[in-house]
Amino acid sequence: MSGPINIRDLAPGTSVVLASGAEAEIVDNPRDGVWLFARYLAAPRDPTLVGQEEMIFAQDVVALGKARTSSQAP
Amino acid sequence: MAINERRGYRSGLVDLRAGEISREIFVNEDIYAQEQERVFARAWLHVGHESQIPKPGDYFVSSMGEESVILCRDRANRIHVFLNSCRHRGMKVCRYDEGSTTVFTCPYHGWSYGTDGRLVGVPYFREAYHLRLDKEKWGLVEVAQLCNYKGSIWATWDPAAPPFAEYLGDFTRYLDLQLDGWDGREGQAEVLGGIQKWLVPCNWKFPAENFSGDTYHNISHRSVDLAGIGPSGASRRDMGERDVSRKLHVCIPDRGHQTIHYVLPAGQTPPPAYLNAPIVAEYFRHCEEEKRRLRGEEARLVGAPGEIFPNTALLSRQPRTMAAWHPRGPHQTECWRWFFVDRDAPKEVKEFLRDYYIRYSGPAGMTEQDDMENWNYAHAASRGTIARRHPYNYDQGSGTAVTDYEYQGLRVPGEVIDLTEVQSSEQPMRNFYRRWAEFMEADDWSQLATWRLNERKAAE
Repeated sequence: MSGPINIRDLAPGTSVVLASGAEAEIVDNPRDGVWLFARYLAAPRDPTLVGQEEMIFAQDVVALGKARTSSQAP
Repeated sequence: MAINERRGYRSGLVDLRAGEISREIFVNEDIYAQEQERVFARAWLHVGHESQIPKPGDYFVSSMGEESVILCRDRANRIHVFLNSCRHRGMKVCRYDEGSTTVFTCPYHGWSYGTDGRLVGVPYFREAYHLRLDKEKWGLVEVAQLCNYKGSIWATWDPAAPPFAEYLGDFTRYLDLQLDGWDGREGQAEVLGGIQKWLVPCNWKFPAENFSGDTYHNISHRSVDLAGIGPSGASRRDMGERDVSRKLHVCIPDRGHQTIHYVLPAGQTPPPAYLNAPIVAEYFRHCEEEKRRLRGEEARLVGAPGEIFPNTALLSRQPRTMAAWHPRGPHQTECWRWFFVDRDAPKEVKEFLRDYYIRYSGPAGMTEQDDMENWNYAHAASRGTIARRHPYNYDQGSGTAVTDYEYQGLRVPGEVIDLTEVQSSEQPMRNFYRRWAEFMEADDWSQLATWRLNERKAAE
């Protein structure tokens, strides 16, 4: 099992998988280690979220997504 | 120690008729606690300068009384001042001195706020709050009123306080000397470098009264005069205009603001200064000429140390600085000093002034060190049971102020004492403590805005 992801290092364009099973693409990272601004790419439990932007809490991020469009920031 | 209820602030602890002020107002913990509510929660306080937050997202963490506040510019370029405390459990949402951000995130539970103060991020908002938390209601606490006066940012927690310009009254011209360009153009000041911050073990009113216009303590600075820390290596300042001007104490009685002030004779040009540095000398010569062209008779006003009630000090003539005396308990003050230059001044001028400013002011400044030592030991020697029984004397120059002062066609509003011959008075301190006592006794601004009562009476 992989450890927690340090979201401070994630660049805009990266996608992340959330605890709910949803996947979202980062649009901005305030780099406070707590929040990401992201747009939903998929949301199996609530498809109405797809396309919406929302703040994502660090503890909801469980993995990097398959739709990752850019590499992690150095 | 509890205060004797029969001794009120006016004519009790602050007995100006007798020229006496009790030491209790400096060392008593109950009085200090009341000051936070009655003075610092109601007065206009200096927070910072817009040049410290030039771009959207920029912030500067400041202080209003004991409270930590965030001065910031939101994405729409609007300036705000917020209490630096999360609405959930009170943790500071910003623990840096300054910077730039998109959100202020509380590190305790993760509540997050936009630079406009709105609550934008709540962990488990869907799951734990079931989408029912009213985010609009739980944004950062914002000051009741904010004023950007020529780039300087002022704020008050009291929605009933008068507008800032009315709070200043006739003192406006002295703040203008601080914030306008040396050449007389409006609002040309910018903050030079960082803010110097340091702690002094004394009550906040010691520095406030000192900068109100204490000319009597000049003997304390004898050593820097002898060392010659001034720009030209002589005395403390390059300000020959002082030698040809009238030297005044100016007090605005119903506002509690006061200052030392110089007025040049009509037609008099300030003597040349900074002659060791030709670029600097030429810059100030040019500015003085421009000021006379732009301002006419007003260009005869020359600034000096002053105090805007309660805790903001001005020093518009060199070294050009402002200070805030933040209370940190009855026995400790956190001093903050901002250094100013004209934003369009040549780089050589700014560098030259920076060297002079830090040699003079701040915790490493040779003149300010003299002051700190006085405040430190005066406070410590006033805390004891026996010491508290004996009031300080504030009687110097009582009854000698005039309200119709004029010098060669230039009228100076307020209560004025001409110090040119008498050297010193304690009128500014009496003015400061009179206002302090009014704040401590008044229930609200309907009693504090005494000038409005007088205007109403006059109209009737």
